[in-house]
Amino acid sequence: MAVPRDLMRAMLGFGAMLRASGLPVTTGALMDAVRALEVVDLMDRAQVYLALRTVLVSRMEEQPAFDRCFEAFWKFQADDGQGLDGLVAAVQPRGSEEEPPTGGLEGAQQKQAQIALEDWDEGEAQEGEPLEVPGQSDREVLMEHDFSTFPAEQLEEVARLTVQIAKRLARRVSRRRKPTRRGGVVDLRRSMRANLTRGEIIELRRRSRRRRKVRLVLLCDVSGSMDLYSRFLLQFLYALQNVFGRVETFTFATRLTRVSDLLRGPSYKSALRRLTEVRDWSGGTRIGDSLREFNQTWGHLVDRRTIVLLLSDGWDTGEPEVLAQEMLSLKRRAGRLIWLNPLLGNPSYEPLTRGMAAALPLVDHFAAAHNLASLRELAGHLTIR
Amino acid sequence: MRAEIKKIEEMMEAAEYVTDPAIAMSVHLAMTLKKPLLIEGHAGVGKTEVAKVMAKMLETNLIRLQCYEGLDAAQALYEWNYPKQLLHIKLEESTSHSLTEKEAAIFSPPFLIKRPLLQAISETGTPPVLLIDEIDRADEEFEAFLLEVLSEFQVTIPEIGTIKATQPPYVILTSNRIRELSDALRRRCLYLWIDFPGFEKEVRIVTRKVPGVNERLAREISRFMETVRTIRLAKVPGVAETLDWAQALTSLHADHLDEELVAETLGCVVKDAEDVKRLKRELATGGIARFVAAQS
Repeated sequence: MAVPRDLMRAMLGFGAMLRASGLPVTTGALMDAVRALEVVDLMDRAQVYLALRTVLVSRMEEQPAFDRCFEAFWKFQADDGQGLDGLVAAVQPRGSEEEPPTGGLEGAQQKQAQIALEDWDEGEAQEGEPLEVPGQSDREVLMEHDFSTFPAEQLEEVARLTVQIAKRLARRVSRRRKPTRRGGVVDLRRSMRANLTRGEIIELRRRSRRRRKVRLVLLCDVSGSMDLYSRFLLQFLYALQNVFGRVETFTFATRLTRVSDLLRGPSYKSALRRLTEVRDWSGGTRIGDSLREFNQTWGHLVDRRTIVLLLSDGWDTGEPEVLAQEMLSLKRRAGRLIWLNPLLGNPSYEPLTRGMAAALPLVDHFAAAHNLASLRELAGHLTIR
Repeated sequence: MRAEIKKIEEMMEAAEYVTDPAIAMSVHLAMTLKKPLLIEGHAGVGKTEVAKVMAKMLETNLIRLQCYEGLDAAQALYEWNYPKQLLHIKLEESTSHSLTEKEAAIFSPPFLIKRPLLQAISETGTPPVLLIDEIDRADEEFEAFLLEVLSEFQVTIPEIGTIKATQPPYVILTSNRIRELSDALRRRCLYLWIDFPGFEKEVRIVTRKVPGVNERLAREISRFMETVRTIRLAKVPGVAETLDWAQALTSLHADHLDEELVAETLGCVVKDAEDVKRLKRELATGGIARFVAAQS
């Protein structure tokens, strides 16, 4: 059995392993872990595991990573090998820095993508205010219509629904109350304070509900596999960006691009034109790397008042480990993490791609986004609680 | 050392709680490390029950704070008794007491209403179990406020002064994950995820909690529930539903499941209209055999 000092050293090593796997382990927690080990049987693997898990894991999603680390840690302790340094180095995930192939092929793809965008642009019936166009009646048919076969002129229906969603978001009101001049309910506490010297309540203080500020961060996959859906998604992003003020929009395929400013403006057509500047269209997908870039550079945009909406089919050519780790870090900060997958509309689709499987346990809501009905359903999930 | 955990398991079982090593371990650590324990899991897996059983086991009071949206410090900590204060001011109108004296009088302990948190802190004798139930329903502002109380176990009331707990209470927090909790709160707590029970555990729970249920029925019910939970439902049924159902079936004097019986009592298992439809469809195609198949 290890003496406490060895225990502390072992714990520090274990903590480093956990951190390398994305668990936010503090030194305080490691001290608690040592204390916890003092009240269990150190030779009993099951007990050591449960004790460490209770102290060091702080959300269910961290458990798979914890289990992997514990496995290595226990094996190492049992083997009594050559020092903790080796162990820690061995399990540290390698950051795959490989760049996707560049050059001729990519350039060609890019050109093609640009052409595709322009075509669609031409196909649009009218310029101007797509957000305000009155809707037509054949809604039912539209609702079931898959976006991959959506005629451009029907996109106004998408816009209308998106406007509804955005308004709904903006309307969220908190049940917490703040003091107000008039209206609202009587605030007895403040009234008492204000009237203390008078012996009776003359002036009433009131309070009313405070607006809850929700922010939206959209991360949209624009890689080749998403081409069929991109036109709908763009419309969705454009409408959200312009109706609902607090939105930040990013596109990604092999790299991340912030497009909020490009989308802003009264004309959808010129927004589209500006979007063709995004160089990533129709390339491959590296979701994990793109998310890492987002977390590092734009992480401050996400807090508990933020809904993060990821639009992607989950075809990832990067490391699933990286994706899982970045998803975890995103989830830790966001109020709600929603993944919309256009492929989910197909009844025979199973989210079995490696990337999707790694990310799935970490999302709060996983839904289809291939037709209007699925969009309508989404509205119900766009709240922090 | 092992013996202590074994003992907790036994005591929990004696207090009518069907436990497992993970739950016993976290209760053991919450007690020895004196740290709050955060319990997460689906609705109806017995999170709140842990706190109740702990109180029973330790023979101490259970103080419960039910969280909801809009809950604020006044409702959780303390509130002045305004009507009583007003009345007092009225009665004092004719006396010659100075304003300071009047103020001191109405902001004193007799006019203080203790809410759960203050109650838990000011309790003398054996430390109580403080249950902060469904913390995810409260706002973040409240969560932040709670951090302060939980780390210091003291409360400052401007008019009276600081009240510090002589012995900190045992704290259990539960969350259904309606909202993500802050890292700051998680860091201060031990953590336990209670999953749906496995087959054997559920059988034990049913036989334990539903008197008169026969062995075969208990096993079939548990097997059925296990299968139901693998179907994608809007509201996955928890142990509470299992027990409701077992209760209903026993009162119908059933000793095994058949198609008709299941159809009649499906409302005990799933409570969502869409889910009922879905489950009926599954039953119609696969038959009941599919649900109780993997034979016990």
